[in-house]
Amino acid sequence: MRLVKCWFCSSTIYPGHGIQFVRNDAKIFRFCRSKCHKNFKMKRNPRKVKWTKAYRAAHGKDMTQDKTFEFEKKRNRPERYDRNVTEDTLKAIKKIDKIRSTREAEHINKRLKPNKQKIFKSAITELDQHISLIKAPGSQQQDSEKMKVLVSSNKSVQNEAMEE
Amino acid sequence: RSLLGDLTNAFSGLMSSSNGSILSQQQQQQQRTFIQMGTTLKVVDNSGGKEVMCIQSLRGKKGARLGDIVIGSVKEAAHKVDVKKGKDAIQKGKVKKGNVVYGVVVRAAMQKGRVDGSQVRFDDNAIVILGIKEKKKDENGKEKKKKYAGGFHQPLGTRVFGPVPHEMRLKKQLKILSLAQHLV
Repeated sequence: MRLVKCWFCSSTIYPGHGIQFVRNDAKIFRFCRSKCHKNFKMKRNPRKVKWTKAYRAAHGKDMTQDKTFEFEKKRNRPERYDRNVTEDTLKAIKKIDKIRSTREAEHINKRLKPNKQKIFKSAITELDQHISLIKAPGSQQQDSEKMKVLVSSNKSVQNEAMEE
Repeated sequence: RSLLGDLTNAFSGLMSSSNGSILSQQQQQQQRTFIQMGTTLKVVDNSGGKEVMCIQSLRGKKGARLGDIVIGSVKEAAHKVDVKKGKDAIQKGKVKKGNVVYGVVVRAAMQKGRVDGSQVRFDDNAIVILGIKEKKKDENGKEKKKKYAGGFHQPLGTRVFGPVPHEMRLKKQLKILSLAQHLV
């Protein structure tokens, strides 16, 4: 049993799923579902179809180069069965998966970060320029005046007496 | 004959493959079905034939699929001149136009399910010619061909072109497997 990648969308194809198309030059195209198969028949280039992994990799949306990907490479040599190795591999798969997904999320965050700062700055400028949409232009000045009134010292002494 | 032809067409329309016909902007997806009477198949060996039209599928009411044997009529064969000039060709093409031949389907545009649950499909319909059907009453075409090594019908040509599926092993066409360039 071998898990393969869909030629169009690059998702894993589990056994019993999808169609394998063999071209006359003996090149095999595997598809995970009929959506990908039909897109292929329409002669669409996966690098231009937005929801595929190929597009995201080509346009720098997703992480492409990382050491965690090397664990998943295709190996043609069959391994001799060893129970310990199998157990360790199963544990490792889970861990590597976790690491890879956190790294991918990091990559996307990094990509979106400058945009977040832009949004923040634009929000500030918007507040400065268009506050008149919410508050009347006169009322703003009154608020600022109110802020400047100081508390006299006599009153504070009285409050202390009241508290006691 | 024509009635049967119509019936089989109706069947194939009902029970056609999952490649349903959807009308996309410019193209219409093709419905890939069985190989039946009238289907033209490409010949992918060097027996001399180029194109064969199926006149009977020896297996299946609806038609032949990948790996089945069909009887066909050779519509197009290699010219004598071409074959003589070829490197590993025989002096004259073994198969001539108008011959009725047995052939095994090595590539089918209709998908075939495999034991592991996957589906395979090829780009075209192709056969490898196994034997020529004799017209004489005394000798039946099949009986004569049983003398070939390997028990079953064995291919007439000495080379096979293009990819060949593993289904040949189940159908005991081991010679074709050994001659194949690519195994799928």
